[in-house]
Amino acid sequence: MPLDPLTLSNATGSVLNRAKTGGAASGTGAGLTSSFGEALGKLVEGIEQTSADANTAVTGMMEKTGDVHDAMIALQREELTLQLSVQIRNKLVSAYQEIMRMPI
Amino acid sequence: MNTIDDAALVEALRQQMTKSVARQVAASGNLANVDTPNYKAVEPTFADTLKGQLAMKATKPNHINPASPAPGTVREIPDAVARRDGNTVELDRELLTMQRASGDFAQAQTALAAKFKLVRYAISESK
Amino acid sequence: MSTLSAASKAAASALAVERTRIEAAVSNLANAESTRSADGKPYRRRDVVLRAEPVESFQAALGRSTATGVKVAAVVEDQSEYRRRYEPSHPDADKDGFVSLPNVDAANEMVDMVGAARAYQANLAAIGIIRDMVAKALELGRG
Repeated sequence: MPLDPLTLSNATGSVLNRAKTGGAASGTGAGLTSSFGEALGKLVEGIEQTSADANTAVTGMMEKTGDVHDAMIALQREELTLQLSVQIRNKLVSAYQEIMRMPI
Repeated sequence: MNTIDDAALVEALRQQMTKSVARQVAASGNLANVDTPNYKAVEPTFADTLKGQLAMKATKPNHINPASPAPGTVREIPDAVARRDGNTVELDRELLTMQRASGDFAQAQTALAAKFKLVRYAISESK
Repeated sequence: MSTLSAASKAAASALAVERTRIEAAVSNLANAESTRSADGKPYRRRDVVLRAEPVESFQAALGRSTATGVKVAAVVEDQSEYRRRYEPSHPDADKDGFVSLPNVDAANEMVDMVGAARAYQANLAAIGIIRDMVAKALELGRG
């Protein structure tokens, strides 16, 4: 399920937790990498989705088949998703590195 | 903070804007035809908002389709009085409708702008 | 799906139409006493026939909702009877001393003209309101 920047407060925490518990449960380095990879994949999915929605909405606006406010709202969602994703990615990366540094 | 409310609020505000546009479009058509014989003034009809929103949540939670599925339908304004040429458009009523629609639109826009700003701030400040 | 741009087009279509109605009223008033126009007969009142029309015919053909505009279907000559006035001294009086005058009622023309002017103003105001709405919507796109 792609990330909605508007369901923010739990988003960062839940993505991190899913990645961490998934990584810890699997135990191996490969398992850890794939959990975090999954989390990053979800972020990309979210970006792709909101980006596609925004493109559709803006095209609609330009062709006069869609409303201006729909396009603007779609663009905002795309921007917020991107911002949120960058934040989460940064935290994922540092959490990953932190875990990798731990002695087995 | 109850996170579900943010997304639902944005969607509700977006719908208010869409409805305002629909009212404006209908009013514009009426006003343009204030002198057309037998033209009947129309207004938009809206499906139940709550049902619409719940239906959307059921199909795709957190994914709002920007090309809104709400179809634009109009009906003749009920109890409209026709003049001798059969026209039911009242110039002042349409102008009033436009002012109201414009006001509702601006109101929702302001709230949305504030909401986006807050969310953006929250994202940038999140630790 | 109809947008504000369609609404704007609808209002704009009314401007041209109401202007035509004003011109017709002005012509009628100016020629209210013309017993001899270009074809030698008394002036006939000009009547502007209006018709509602979707602003985006392509959209309408696809069954999608669009805004309803207006257009001048035709400017016709009112075929109602000429007025007749007893004035034997008039150069165009017939053998019974009656003059056929244009079928123009000045009071009606004034009412039409004022109505058209008012409708013109209202549609002009509508264009302004719509433009402001679009500007407001675009503001949402700014960060």
